[in-house]
Amino acid sequence: MDPTNTPISAELERKMDEAIRRYPADRKRSASMPLLHLWQEEFGFISDEGVNWIAAKLELQPINILELVTFYPMFRQEPAGRKHIRVCRTLSCAMAGSYQVMEKACAATGIVRHRDENGMHNPISVSEDGKYSIEFVECLASCGTAPVCMVEDELIENVRPDSAANLLTKEGRFPNRPPTKTDGGLETAAPWKTAPHPLEHRLIFKNIGREDWTPDIDCYLRAGGYEQLRATIKMSRAEIVNEVKTSGLRGRGGAGFPCGVKWSFIKPDEKKPVYLICNADESEPGTFKDRYIIHEDPHQLLEGILISCFALNVKTAYIYIRGEFPEGAQILERAIEEAREKNFLGQNMLGTGFDVEIYLHRGAGAYICGEETGLIESLEGKRAYPRIKPPYFPAVLGLYMCPTIVNNVETLCHVKHIIEMGGANYARLGRPNNTGTRIVCVSGDVQRPGYFEIEVGAVTMGQLIYDMAGGPRHGRNVKAVIPGGSSAKVLRADEKFKLRLKQSDGSMAEQEVSLFEIPMDFDSLAAAGSMAGSGGVIVLDDSRDMVWTLNNINEFYAHESCGQCTPCREGSLWMKKITDRMLLGGGVVQDPDTLQTLADNIAGRTICAFGEACAWPTQSFVEKFRDEFNQRSQKPVPPPMPPEYTPGELIDHKKIATTPLPRNPGWEETATAGTI
Amino acid sequence: MLVEHEQEHDYETLMADPATSAQLVNVQINGVWHQFPKGTRLIEACEQAGSYIPRYCYHKKLTSPGNCRMCLIEMGLPKMGPDRKPELGEDGKPVINWMPRPQISCAQDVSEGLGVRTDSPLAQECRKGVMEFLLINHPLDCPICDQAGECRLQEFSVEYGNAESRFLENKVKKPKNIELGPRVTLDDERCILCSRCIRFCQEIAHDDVLGFIDRGSHSVLTAHPGKRLENNYSLNTVDICPVGALTSSDFRFQMRVWFLKETKSFCTSCATGCNTIIGTRQDAIYRQTPRENNAVNSSWMCDYGRLNFGYLQSDKRLLQPEILSGDKLIAAEWNVAITHAAVQLKHFSGWEIAILASGRMTNEELWLTSRLAKILGVELIDIVPRQGPGDDILLSTDRNPNMNGAQILGVTRWPGARLRDITDGIISGRVKALVALGENPIEIGLTFAQLQALPAFVVMNLLEDESISAATAVLPSFGFAEKRGSMINGKGRLQRLNRSVRGPGEARDDWEILRDLIQAYSGQNSETDSRPGGIHSIEDVFRQMSESFPQFAGLSLSKIGDLGVQIFGTEATR
Repeated sequence: MDPTNTPISAELERKMDEAIRRYPADRKRSASMPLLHLWQEEFGFISDEGVNWIAAKLELQPINILELVTFYPMFRQEPAGRKHIRVCRTLSCAMAGSYQVMEKACAATGIVRHRDENGMHNPISVSEDGKYSIEFVECLASCGTAPVCMVEDELIENVRPDSAANLLTKEGRFPNRPPTKTDGGLETAAPWKTAPHPLEHRLIFKNIGREDWTPDIDCYLRAGGYEQLRATIKMSRAEIVNEVKTSGLRGRGGAGFPCGVKWSFIKPDEKKPVYLICNADESEPGTFKDRYIIHEDPHQLLEGILISCFALNVKTAYIYIRGEFPEGAQILERAIEEAREKNFLGQNMLGTGFDVEIYLHRGAGAYICGEETGLIESLEGKRAYPRIKPPYFPAVLGLYMCPTIVNNVETLCHVKHIIEMGGANYARLGRPNNTGTRIVCVSGDVQRPGYFEIEVGAVTMGQLIYDMAGGPRHGRNVKAVIPGGSSAKVLRADEKFKLRLKQSDGSMAEQEVSLFEIPMDFDSLAAAGSMAGSGGVIVLDDSRDMVWTLNNINEFYAHESCGQCTPCREGSLWMKKITDRMLLGGGVVQDPDTLQTLADNIAGRTICAFGEACAWPTQSFVEKFRDEFNQRSQKPVPPPMPPEYTPGELIDHKKIATTPLPRNPGWEETATAGTI
Repeated sequence: MLVEHEQEHDYETLMADPATSAQLVNVQINGVWHQFPKGTRLIEACEQAGSYIPRYCYHKKLTSPGNCRMCLIEMGLPKMGPDRKPELGEDGKPVINWMPRPQISCAQDVSEGLGVRTDSPLAQECRKGVMEFLLINHPLDCPICDQAGECRLQEFSVEYGNAESRFLENKVKKPKNIELGPRVTLDDERCILCSRCIRFCQEIAHDDVLGFIDRGSHSVLTAHPGKRLENNYSLNTVDICPVGALTSSDFRFQMRVWFLKETKSFCTSCATGCNTIIGTRQDAIYRQTPRENNAVNSSWMCDYGRLNFGYLQSDKRLLQPEILSGDKLIAAEWNVAITHAAVQLKHFSGWEIAILASGRMTNEELWLTSRLAKILGVELIDIVPRQGPGDDILLSTDRNPNMNGAQILGVTRWPGARLRDITDGIISGRVKALVALGENPIEIGLTFAQLQALPAFVVMNLLEDESISAATAVLPSFGFAEKRGSMINGKGRLQRLNRSVRGPGEARDDWEILRDLIQAYSGQNSETDSRPGGIHSIEDVFRQMSESFPQFAGLSLSKIGDLGVQIFGTEATR
């Protein structure tokens, strides 16, 4: 195929050239994903022609582009229907009925879905008339309004299965916010526009959900926006880093690494360019906080990024936003333009002589891009394979092998408030080593799912679930809680935990507490054997089948494993296949043990933390709900295949089933047992 | 480079010795302290210390992605005291702070006071886990797999495999029997996704043609349909593939590898002289693979050279000495053919004879050729230069493996400079006898008729070509795999050919033919210099040659060794 014959409009090529200019001139490969997005927007899918054309445009090999198209599920190699529907399949949505939504939507469109047993991605099924297509996707990061769907680029929340047919009437373009309360028979209520709960302490989410708030810069400036940036440029870089260090801020993306410590890895006299990447690839199931910051208060994020850029002498920052936030991407692009007009970024920022640029980079549906080195590889235009550490610590050898800081959206917003309050004042919020506020997202079996910004540790699990989220549905009890995104270890409602807690007289002492008495902070949840993670709390009530729940989680991780390193690549799919079989009634007695040991063989032995993320659910579910797993694993283990080679010592050790011969072969003389 | 640490050797003294500490670091491997030069990869250090760590993705000539997780070991760093110096234990050695998680040893360089346990229960358990994961989706087709016998999965299964599988699910289905290019066939189900081949193509062959598509356990190695794996180094991916995913289309299903006899040799297809292993069975060559020599070819060789052995087994091989009788070539006994050739040459004086020698001959053969020329009084002698497109990797533009030998041994000063005189002489009739050694005179511009008009045309060669039927004597000789001898590559390295197969039919070793020709002509066994001894073996040829040429002084065929000797120029390290 001759790539030069492709009818590429001048407008498309102009957009592509503009996308290429966002990356250093010798790093054109980074523009691979933006170009693939542009191509797919224009032509509906990535044809082989597209692969060749983009490869030629970026001076790459076609295989470099093909590797990306097949890695990122949002890129299609076949045309979809004229209206493409994505249904979220992941835990909170599945619990709220997304499988029924899928069924009804298929019925309404006449689509017959085939689940290819051996398929990698969830298949895209197209109706016969080509009008509609539908696919399951993994977590859309709106678990508080589950189940959710996307019609083209528009997010549809709280989709009731019985009104799934209404999805077909959707325009597919995102409306101008604010949304209506009822939207074509699909309710879009909580958590939009709800007043803060009295137990909340809102810093980051101060403006989220406000009736009188719009995401434009004028609104932000009226509320004192960019004042902290103006204050920052009068400070020395060391001062800013010190304030962040003093604040004790811990990363809000999942690992909880101290932000100031991370920043101090950057040498003040660094000669190479330093990059800042805002990790807006929010995709840990159960987590949906960054979505609201991006959609409703984008300038708060930009101000946080700009302060951080100034502090770290970063001339170029990238926001890596997940592909499933097309509206968020558009809002951020607009916000960046607005900020540039006011000279908060660009050449000679606010007359300081400091040049800084923020560029947006869209992902395309790969959870692994949330891992910082996977994200960096993806930003470099490659498959998001996490790097080995050592030697590739981002602060030393990050983006383009330059020092790079990767921070979560919420973390960067906190920076603005640390400057506003002063690091020491900020550190008074929360608890020692667990300072500030954080946004906790509650989803699953509660009456009022949603986001809550709390002082870290000031609220217990019980207060969060019962007071703030309204407790379980009528007549139900809480059975278990996943406290920090689906990769966190599950906690049973009737478990007892030994924690060191502050007593009424102010001293610290070890105390036995129930699940509902655990304070919502990093250290307490870690001491309880799980983690605060990304702040996504998923509540499971007593109607839930734990094998089904684990299977749903396993399917997510098997789908999202990047496939780079052996234990995670092979183990995540194996665990999913076992729980699949258990659900279908084929569980054998060894299955719970197999699951346990498989998870043990993954955790801690992989390149990145995905190994733990996919192993911890299995380890904790099987351990804590062993009876349910045993119940589903009652079949006898099938006999092993007859071994072609049975060494004598194995027979002696009874490791291989032996079969007596019908007649004595007279082998006793040679000291064998007379069996084969 | 490994220096065993003596038990009584005090750790602090070692630390204090600036000469030692500048270059060597102390590493504890399985409880024993060793020293290694700074910058040594940990996995290599452990191997040097006798603790081989199994690996799939790691290859010392490529970057380390750390993806197979087979080389996980336990690692620790010296425990630092409050004075920020390592705390010393009772034995005077640093106390090691072991990390709770296993670490990969392929991406880590040794550092001072590093501790490693390569065979601890945790390390063993990790390997068993990885082995199980690698095998669950791997097909059980070892009986028909070309890699069987040299497969790393098989090898490590012995130590870390399970006798029983607890995998009850369906295996992942992937494409099989894919022609990745003209010479490489891929079985994706066998592939363990180690990415060695991808990295080889990017880093060594500079042809980024392979990649993974799809994701997770469904990831598949492939090339883009529009751009195949057809670079001249593609078969190296087969060598480094630790399993049977990539196989050589040429060798595929031809022979079980355990039947192959391996002979160390080098490639004679260009002046680089890549070191090789020739795999043979019952006098047939089945494959040629590169052998590591960092002074010549690193661990690689080009496909062109690798596959350039089929002609040795071709039905065009000359199998029988022949002499012209009447107007027909008839088979003759060797002594008859040699005498016949010598008698023909005796009819002419030196100026009436030309010798067309070859840059493909060994030093020993070239030396004997120059002796022959001297005895005959021949001045009109040259070799045929042979040029072809080269690259920046291994392939040289000089396609003669031993042009240097021809020049050093005085067969030619400016290769090719006299070819014109030879052809002119034959065309004008001044030259009446031509001795063609391993070259076809038609290729230098002579016609069959001109050759047929020659009163004497003695040919020593391997293959029947269009000039043969014009010959007056045909002396069938050996190919590079059938003989011993030495050559000097383009960078001045003296290397040795070893015999891996016997020559076919009545063909004889070239040096014997030349010696006999000299003997038949002069009546002496290379005694023109009145040297004692005579020539009875190739070692004798080398010895006599080394007496006249100081470049070979002190050497013998056995002293050249498997990796060769640099006799001039500088070592080129790749």
